[in-house]
Amino acid sequence: MTQTAARQVTRAWGLLVLLTLLSLGAGGSGWTGLAANALILTAAFAKGRWMLMDFLKLRRVPAGWQTLFLCWLGLVTVIPWAATALSLLRG
Amino acid sequence: MNLAQEDRSWGALSDLPGHPMMWVLILTEVVTFGLLFLTFAIAGAVHHDLFAAGQAQLDPTLGGINTLVLITSGWLAALAVEARSVGRRGAARLLLGGAMALGIVFIAIKITEYITKAQAGIGLETDTFFTLYFLLTGFHLLHVLLGIVILVAVTFSDSLENLKTGTAFWHMVDLVWVVMYPLIYLIG
Repeated sequence: MTQTAARQVTRAWGLLVLLTLLSLGAGGSGWTGLAANALILTAAFAKGRWMLMDFLKLRRVPAGWQTLFLCWLGLVTVIPWAATALSLLRG
Repeated sequence: MNLAQEDRSWGALSDLPGHPMMWVLILTEVVTFGLLFLTFAIAGAVHHDLFAAGQAQLDPTLGGINTLVLITSGWLAALAVEARSVGRRGAARLLLGGAMALGIVFIAIKITEYITKAQAGIGLETDTFFTLYFLLTGFHLLHVLLGIVILVAVTFSDSLENLKTGTAFWHMVDLVWVVMYPLIYLIG
């Protein structure tokens, strides 16, 4: 096992666990609203990015592929936040 | 066709780890799940109170535990590829076994959740929230099952290329859940 690659994968896993616990804490504490949603979805974006780069190994592929997948990740986290924000602001 | 030309026969897809055909499937899946997520988000914005009431009946801790289970499974699968890349076939198979076992734990937790809902009289036709909840999580669950089948296949046919291909699908399943969990269980 290449030690550096294995360490990178394990570091990513540790961060994923940490962010999942943070999201769970934010969601379970009853803290709601736009800021809570933004924090939780930002954590989801960061988790997805680490998965793409370190688990799926996209760190080593051309930038175009990275951009494509990160755009997908951005869309599926930003649009739900915006939709919820519109709904909350509309009352 | 020489080897260099053959390696590039899938164009830009040849740059990705594993078999390019798997990436065609992954791209199709992320687009499909992306559209389902947007449908859920927009329906949630239109029927805010209904979705808030539906979400209140879910267990975010159980969803969070399932997230930890799946990301740990993804970690083991990624380590399996690293082990296989230096010829440690036994270690790679053990790590894949761990990844599959955690996939089965994910399925067991999800089925427990479905049973709890059924016991509370909640089903596919209860309301729009639960129709989408069962549709999204059920569709994802089928992918977890398919992912386990693929991992079993690459455990037996364990070339490095096959491991990269099989684990790429598994990581896609993991990635989709990481977005689905906050969308369905947490935000609102």
